[in-house]
Amino acid sequence: MIPSTVRTNLKTALQTITGMRVFDYVPDSTNIPTNNAFAIVGQLSMNYDFTLNRGFDSATCQVIVVVGRMSEKDGQSRLDGLIASSGSTSIKTAIEADKTLSGAVQTLRVVSASPGTITSANIDYLSYQYSVELIG
Amino acid sequence: MAIFMGNKVAVIVGTSTITDHVSTVSLAREIDQVEITAMNDTVQNMIGGIERPTLNLELYNDFASASVNALFEDALGTKLNIKLIPVSGTVSATNPSYTMSCLISSWTPVNGAVDAVASVSVSLPVTALTKSTSA
Repeated sequence: MIPSTVRTNLKTALQTITGMRVFDYVPDSTNIPTNNAFAIVGQLSMNYDFTLNRGFDSATCQVIVVVGRMSEKDGQSRLDGLIASSGSTSIKTAIEADKTLSGAVQTLRVVSASPGTITSANIDYLSYQYSVELIG
Repeated sequence: MAIFMGNKVAVIVGTSTITDHVSTVSLAREIDQVEITAMNDTVQNMIGGIERPTLNLELYNDFASASVNALFEDALGTKLNIKLIPVSGTVSATNPSYTMSCLISSWTPVNGAVDAVASVSVSLPVTALTKSTSA
């Protein structure tokens, strides 16, 4: 499993959601969107030696999705589509559409999505943190 | 040789190396205990009988051609030659190989759970076993 390839291919998968802006690294700074969402593919947490003789490893990758201000009704509505388990805006569906990430891993699963906030310029923004399990 | 990690065992089925689909492997060599206690013995007496080795494998299943499932399911009810090398690489006096014939007495092609990779756990009776320090 090559972490940079995994992050790049996760980015590609997330970009299939119309309007989703995606970073495959944590940006120094960014403009929080007011009319759509953006996602950050985080660093991988590696667990080595999933199989014998350095065959495969397992990893967990956090994907953070930010939509808009806490007080913004549209942001909350957008989140509903993103955290849905299916549909064209579903993050789980987008990532699991190709469970090998174009051959970068053996398999993966979007395990969970937890709500939270991200603060930028003293403004709280709605966010969700996804946990993606990877084996490869 | 020194103490070593058990995470580099090579598992070769026939001519196919399936090491990267194996999470756990163990070969247990057990000898029957045959009792020969006689009237004049004050403590039970035993001699060694026949050997009954067992190969235990925890595998991640794969339906790809010539991969794990095809190798084992196609051999169900027959015997497969399986070779283990404690540390993948050159066989030597300090890294002996174990070559065995195993009866594929069971196989679980489908084993699903919502939160786990498809895996198979098998315990195979070994019907012939050779330890080698050179191959």
